[in-house]
Amino acid sequence: MPDFARRIPVGRYRGLHPVTKAILAMVGAIVALGVRGWTGPAVVLAAVVLSGALAGVLRRMALFALATIPLVVSILLVNTFLYPNARDAIVTVGPLSPTWTGATAALQATMRVVAFGMSAAVFALTTPIDDLLTELERRGLGRRGAFVVGSALGAIPRMVERAREVVDAQRARGLDTEGGPWRRFKGLVPLLGPVILGALGEVEERTMALEARAFTAPGRRTLLRRLPDSRRQQLARWLLLLGSICLVVVSLSGVVKLP
Amino acid sequence: MGLLRRWVARQFTTRVIVLMPVAIAINIVLGYTVQSVLKLPIYVDSIGTILVGVLAGPLAGALTGILSNLIWQYAPIIGGSNIGPFAVTAGVIGFMAGIWGYLGVFRSRPATGLRLAVPAAIAVAVIAVLAARMYTIPQYTDPNVGGYPSWVYAAIVAIGVVAAVAVAGFIYVRRDAAGAWVAVAGALTGIVAAIVSAPIAAVVYGGVTGSGTDVIVAALRQGGADVYNSSLGQGLFSDPIDKTITCFVVFVILSGMSTRFLARFPLGERLIGRAEDGDSRPRDAV
Repeated sequence: MPDFARRIPVGRYRGLHPVTKAILAMVGAIVALGVRGWTGPAVVLAAVVLSGALAGVLRRMALFALATIPLVVSILLVNTFLYPNARDAIVTVGPLSPTWTGATAALQATMRVVAFGMSAAVFALTTPIDDLLTELERRGLGRRGAFVVGSALGAIPRMVERAREVVDAQRARGLDTEGGPWRRFKGLVPLLGPVILGALGEVEERTMALEARAFTAPGRRTLLRRLPDSRRQQLARWLLLLGSICLVVVSLSGVVKLP
Repeated sequence: MGLLRRWVARQFTTRVIVLMPVAIAINIVLGYTVQSVLKLPIYVDSIGTILVGVLAGPLAGALTGILSNLIWQYAPIIGGSNIGPFAVTAGVIGFMAGIWGYLGVFRSRPATGLRLAVPAAIAVAVIAVLAARMYTIPQYTDPNVGGYPSWVYAAIVAIGVVAAVAVAGFIYVRRDAAGAWVAVAGALTGIVAAIVSAPIAAVVYGGVTGSGTDVIVAALRQGGADVYNSSLGQGLFSDPIDKTITCFVVFVILSGMSTRFLARFPLGERLIGRAEDGDSRPRDAV
């Protein structure tokens, strides 16, 4: 279906302008990662859960949370057991000595990671990328920028499928992808070659196709799909962005110490 | 100002605009496959970035790197990831790749005899110096900064020897002196990437990234290194190896592509060289 014929999203969160949702995700990332202590990540996490509930995507967000598990486990183990200069042991069992300082730092880092990941997830799940790119193009991104991002997103599943086909084909020829590190390393070359060269082979054809369709013609394209925006949202975007940067600066400089 | 604008515009031709999304997809798919499917302790998520940098220039390379990380983070089609904050590192890698492209580092240089032996010796010497420098960096030796994880010393020596043999072997088997410059470019890119990544990993993720390299971080912490120095120590261990491998992969890819295809990119002529230099690739028949 052409993009101008698709329904405009409705709902208290989904109905927001795509650029507003992108700014919210960016602000969530800045505050979650930049503000020291518990407050920043906790506020972002609460806001993200509320947004997810309003948009009806909480269950799908849980899958994104599962994807952060390897990183969270690593953070918890390394920091709890091996935090530098920490002497306040929780318990000592042989050579293992987890500390309260390490555990606190680990939990804070975990909260930062989860809050950041969830803010990205709620944005990805509620915002069609085509809508965002159209609005950014209207605001000056240009058709080249919109093409690069949109085409990259379309190329990823095609390349995943191609990589899967190449791995299956090479396995049928005896390639071992399950053995020790050296065997898996040897499996890289028969995988990399066909995937990369196959993808690069399309560049020339696509270039000619774009040139034939006046991709480099001067002037702006006519964009038929226009999503509703409001002065309130425009003001809120600027206030949130500037406010989050100020909050990070104030937190890092120690002027205000948040819990 | 007009010169700057022309320099920027030259790096973003239609061909480069078409190559960038392909390069971004290569970064994301191969990085995910190597890290999550094959579970190797290297990243291999910068092949596309370095390819665009070498073919188009520093700005195009930097933008490819930054967009790869942001798209991987905010459009996690292949599961969630926390790679977004490392967009800065990816941008630096792409920028450096553009510089290597301007310098013609990835241009093939067929050679024999002494013209082959000298670059091989230079490459081995540079690897030995870098390995010796790593052997003695404070992250591994100074008790006030790092610690003494004893297995790291043996690993540095072993990796240095393997790298020197691999690079020298590559130069002799392909009879191409460019291998030396590619190895140096990869090692330097890796060192800079490690220095840029360390504060990001330390501040944002508490020093670990959830990948196989966290074992090195844990070992350095065991030796007494603080959060920043353990991240830096791990980066200086992993990144030069990873970026050198990536640069060699890009070199092999470029040497497998037709001269006519390469010539159409902004820095293509620097990859092909001039016929009168005597070290250029054979040109395709028009």
